[in-house]
Amino acid sequence: MNRKEFIGYSATGAAGMALFPANLFAKENLKKNEKRFPQILPYAKKGKWKEFELEINIMEHELAPAMKIHTLAFNNMIPGPEIRVKEGDQVRVKFKNKTEINHTIHWHGIYVPWRMDGVPYVTQMPVMADQEFIYEFTAKPYGTHFYHCHWGTLLHMQSGMFGSFIVENDDDPVKKAFPYEREYTLVYSAHDVNFLRNELNGMLERMKERSYLMKNGRFDPQRFNLFNTKEELLNAIENGYQPPYLVNRRSLADLPNPNWFTVNGKSYPSTPSLLIKTGETIRVRLINSGTENHHLHLHGHDFWMVCDDGLPLPRPWQRNTLSLSPGKTYDIIIEGNNRGIWTFHDHDTRRVTNNGLYPGGNLMALVYEDLPVEERQVGKMNNGKNILPKIALDE
Amino acid sequence: MKTKIYLSVILSVALVSVTRAQVSPEIELGAKGVMSGNIVVDNANTASAVSDFSDSQILLGFKQKLYSAWRGQMVFGFQFPDADSDLGQVFFNHVFLTVENHKNIFKLGRSTTKTIINEFPTLRDDDAISFNYSLNPFSIGSNTQDNQYGNVIEYTHIFRQRYWFTFHGENLANLSSPTDFSLNAFGASFLYIVPGSQRWNRNVLQRIGMSYNNYLTDRPGYSGYEEALKNILGTVTINVFPDPVHFVDFRIQGIYNIGFSEIDSINSYRNYVKTPYFSTFGTVRYLYRKLERPFIQVSAGMGYKSFSSVAGSNQFIGITNIFYRLGEHFDLGFQYRYLHNYGETGSLFGQKQHRFQLALVYSIDQIFNNQFDDRNSILNLEHGYIK
Repeated sequence: MNRKEFIGYSATGAAGMALFPANLFAKENLKKNEKRFPQILPYAKKGKWKEFELEINIMEHELAPAMKIHTLAFNNMIPGPEIRVKEGDQVRVKFKNKTEINHTIHWHGIYVPWRMDGVPYVTQMPVMADQEFIYEFTAKPYGTHFYHCHWGTLLHMQSGMFGSFIVENDDDPVKKAFPYEREYTLVYSAHDVNFLRNELNGMLERMKERSYLMKNGRFDPQRFNLFNTKEELLNAIENGYQPPYLVNRRSLADLPNPNWFTVNGKSYPSTPSLLIKTGETIRVRLINSGTENHHLHLHGHDFWMVCDDGLPLPRPWQRNTLSLSPGKTYDIIIEGNNRGIWTFHDHDTRRVTNNGLYPGGNLMALVYEDLPVEERQVGKMNNGKNILPKIALDE
Repeated sequence: MKTKIYLSVILSVALVSVTRAQVSPEIELGAKGVMSGNIVVDNANTASAVSDFSDSQILLGFKQKLYSAWRGQMVFGFQFPDADSDLGQVFFNHVFLTVENHKNIFKLGRSTTKTIINEFPTLRDDDAISFNYSLNPFSIGSNTQDNQYGNVIEYTHIFRQRYWFTFHGENLANLSSPTDFSLNAFGASFLYIVPGSQRWNRNVLQRIGMSYNNYLTDRPGYSGYEEALKNILGTVTINVFPDPVHFVDFRIQGIYNIGFSEIDSINSYRNYVKTPYFSTFGTVRYLYRKLERPFIQVSAGMGYKSFSSVAGSNQFIGITNIFYRLGEHFDLGFQYRYLHNYGETGSLFGQKQHRFQLALVYSIDQIFNNQFDDRNSILNLEHGYIK
């Protein structure tokens, strides 16, 4: 079967999401698309506190149709639910660990008291199996931020332990400069699924053993590789302790090499679409919670970069490509001034692949909802329909 | 025959060209090097070996995902048998293919046979072979591999992750007709096994099960079911002290060889295998794990074998060893074994033997080009099996 034939066949398929025209504008597909953005976490008002509940679990997660992996997940979602508060709100987050692995939550970009910063053995003890930790802080500064686990960070972040944290302001300078109604959050990540699987299995196995000992009151700091001073570490080495980074305990060069790239936890063809109408202005909050640089390029438009790490820029930058490095957030404004369906993707094209195969990864589209039906037709497909396929895969 | 081979080659080439096969396999490398210096004191004689490398082996496996959630694997392996084994310098002990999904495993080729249903902490797998293996009745006893490996066809179904039910058929080595590859044994086994990744979940029972073997032997004067040699194996492994630092377990296996009751003399190896017997072998093992890594292991085992049709001809084995871990995969070991054969077994094998062995052991099991998870990983066991 050649590529053209394949496209013809896939166009007749019912599964998958609508990235390109066809039935994208059908109600059920618009509904599905809504769910491809972070879901807002509800809160309970407890006195002065806005109280949120987060729990962490392990689940099966589908990166793309037929491609499942095991991941960690806040409230069984990847990314975790979006926490959205007003600047100055008193925020309380009750975090429950339902896994056997240790975790914390770091509030990336938020001016939390240092004891709430979520760095294990620096600001707090790790949250162990079945334990709960309560984070309390004032929501500031304004802007697009995110939260993520800070224990075993390399593994836990690419395992799905991240979510957006949006601090709103009634006097929003961006909204004043660019009045908009709709906004979207896009959380980028990259995953070495083999690293993820092997490390997660190893960590779970080690923790089973450690939990068994701890339940019997036999916590041994050396098992967690914990030392109070450098001298203590050197003494332990003198007495036979082998640091886990040595080659007699771990093979060389086991750093992850991501082969799956996601937006909001999904790879193409399951990535979300940014919907816009002619004359409309939308705000897009971009968060990189992964380990890779993403050089995001929008076809057919310039956009305005308005916030950097949540902070409003003194003067918006007009551009069509930006480099979203790990840990960064940018807010951009897109003006609907060029009707069509435009791809929005990583211009490091290694990241628009699934397991090395294009198209995939963080490939997505800006879609004009008011695109007339006749403009959705680009040619007669093999299946005889005058519309583009919903999904086009190549090999 | 030539035509068939020709056609199959053409078909393979055609399939490859159509699908542009791009899937590289997972590659699994298993290796074990056992180098020992031996001193054997046998009645009045003393013999020594400077470097005994028998039981050293290499396994190479190639595994990949198939369509519809199946996986396939090809394994090649060879080992260095005993010098007097009649098997040559190298023996190919594993040459097989498996096809498996979540709950089913099909296996075809040369591999281990179901003549043992537990693993014992001895320096070499065959150190107590007369006690912990159901012995091959077609063999003349010139090597141990005849009892350990065969050309097998197996189907295993796994219930609820831990219950392994296997039907198996074998072509066991038969030196009297070495070119006969027809089925000469079959049986079934049922085992409850706690996966290694979950060993801290359950405190006591780690393995229990039994196996039934039926060897299609010739038995003068009998036919049908009565002509076959049959035996039953039972085993259990218990965590006596399931502590991650100071770990103690006990494992035992018994073999009841229904045998041929008319054989009332053990004057040959074949009679030794076919006469009714009951043998048992058990070990107690202490493992000290320093900071989650094995450091020292000490074990002691005993076995006893009695022959109901041959009065006074019993066998006893005592075996003890210690292993000290020099590094990942690398151990220094010492093992002492005492064998005592009473009655007619003494005449056949010698009355008693002391054996001392000082050994270096290197063993690895590495996966390269890793692509998918193992059935018994914690993620697959506890968080949903990913096909």
